[in-house]
Amino acid sequence: MISNPVKQKVSESMEARFRSLAEGWHRDTDHMSSMDAASAHPAYQEIIRLGSEVVPLLLRDLEENHGHWFHALQAITGVNPIPVSAAGNIPKMAEAWLTWARHNGYQW
Amino acid sequence: MATNGEPRQALEALFPRLKKGDYQITSSADPKYNCIAWAAHDSSNWWWPGADVEKEYWPAAVARQATVAAFQLAFETLGFVPCDHELLEAGTEKIALFADHAGIPQHAARQLENGRWTSKLGKREDIEHAVKDLEGEQYGSVVLIMKRPRT
Repeated sequence: MISNPVKQKVSESMEARFRSLAEGWHRDTDHMSSMDAASAHPAYQEIIRLGSEVVPLLLRDLEENHGHWFHALQAITGVNPIPVSAAGNIPKMAEAWLTWARHNGYQW
Repeated sequence: MATNGEPRQALEALFPRLKKGDYQITSSADPKYNCIAWAAHDSSNWWWPGADVEKEYWPAAVARQATVAAFQLAFETLGFVPCDHELLEAGTEKIALFADHAGIPQHAARQLENGRWTSKLGKREDIEHAVKDLEGEQYGSVVLIMKRPRT
């Protein structure tokens, strides 16, 4: 888990980098059904390497678009708040992450 | 129904056999369900035997393996049994499983009562199409047909 998630600021350059990577990832993988395969895409892996600063952007897209950032959020934060009972239900999976993020001081 | 050109261009780039135009986009993109769910008449869950049990739904009694055998067992939990052709049969519902050259499942489509096929393309749109028109680099080819009585 990152040490100080509260009051993170996302720079414009970080947001632009994330948007560019996410666009390429969507273009190349949105027809796939395997989350493991989609998250193995180089752009997705690069988003993970952006680290904790990208988390608010992932949370925002998760909330607004149900973006499949579950692997990335787990890889960056080191936690997985999704209960097995929610497996595959994307809105419930998203809400589990958003609830965890609120409880841990994230803003997005 | 999405009818503008942008999704069609993207779909035809991914699936070149669609370029002849014999398909219809029947829903907008939706990240909440995928092809396997749609074949199973479930538009509320994302089905796949991924490594993490918290991230994708898969029938509990079936091994979480990306193999044709595991997908066959998953559809058998819904009453499907293997059959030898994709032709329309009255009172019968069929699904077609696609796998790549390595035998890894990539997609499933479901036959409609008019003999056409319906597919959810990952997070992308639903389309109505000829079953062979999704064969190619992305989804491989049809490797298994299964059927069950229509309800």
